[in-house]
Amino acid sequence: MSTATYPPPPPFYRLYKDYLQDPKSAPEPPPPIEGTYVLFGSNYTTDDVLPNLEEQGVRQLYPKGPNVGKIRSYSQKAVFVPTVIYFKKELRALNRELQLHILELADVLVERPSQYARRVEEISLIFKNLHHLLNSLRPHQARATLIHILELQIQRRKQAIEDIKRRREEAQKLLKEALGTLEGQ
Amino acid sequence: MDIISQLQEQVNTIAALAFNTFGTLQRDAPPVRLSPNYPEPPPANPTEDSTNVAEQPKQMSAAFVKAAKQFDALVAALPLSDGGEEAQLKRIAELQAENDAVGQELQKQLEAAEKELKQVQELFNQATDNCLNLKKPE
Repeated sequence: MSTATYPPPPPFYRLYKDYLQDPKSAPEPPPPIEGTYVLFGSNYTTDDVLPNLEEQGVRQLYPKGPNVGKIRSYSQKAVFVPTVIYFKKELRALNRELQLHILELADVLVERPSQYARRVEEISLIFKNLHHLLNSLRPHQARATLIHILELQIQRRKQAIEDIKRRREEAQKLLKEALGTLEGQ
Repeated sequence: MDIISQLQEQVNTIAALAFNTFGTLQRDAPPVRLSPNYPEPPPANPTEDSTNVAEQPKQMSAAFVKAAKQFDALVAALPLSDGGEEAQLKRIAELQAENDAVGQELQKQLEAAEKELKQVQELFNQATDNCLNLKKPE
């Protein structure tokens, strides 16, 4: 991949010289890209998944998946880790920690004003954890939305079946009545 | 707005309240006396400072605590069943199977109804043709 200030257009147009006469003589369009690709010098990926916190260089404060004995908080205590993340509990715990930290920051500003940096850093760490937890709830929400839509669709289809059945029966009845009146004449 | 977006907005609101609180208090706080040797600071204007300086921390911290409680209320309102991903996927598979079955039933009913409609239309055409043919031409 060459880089230049004013690159010329790609030379592929020559391959399509006889396209009007014979559409098959030109090459097929390229297949869709899978995996990672490079665009203007930076890497993009086609796999849209939320990167977990360690990949972004942020320490994770709530317990992770099926790893036992991981360090839970910065107080270096090892805690047994559940296999499922309990979102509500962790969100509430993070909220409490946030309030405690803000109180600590207020204290530090009154007594030792030069040591604010570490407290501010911890507060921003808690905020990043909070947002990451909320973002990881989104796939769950997407699946719940899908379930809801499927249920609605099933209900609408059943209603349509009922309507069609009823109309057919009405039509049959009308035809029988018409037959009756015709024969009665 | 859905509950997760509300939670995200609430987190941002809490952050904004926190830094507004600290910023305002730091900006408006009266100077602190460092040592008895330094002279007393000249008395500040009574109108602006006395009412605001005492009230602001109380109001702002009350707002902050209210926002935190609101966050807790929103978290409690999360409709999160602890079924996990596998339970949801299983339910989706069930619903898809049921949807397919119901769809086929609907298709069958629809085809039968269309067939009957065609028959009735055909018979009606014949009947009207007969009517027209039986009329004596003028």
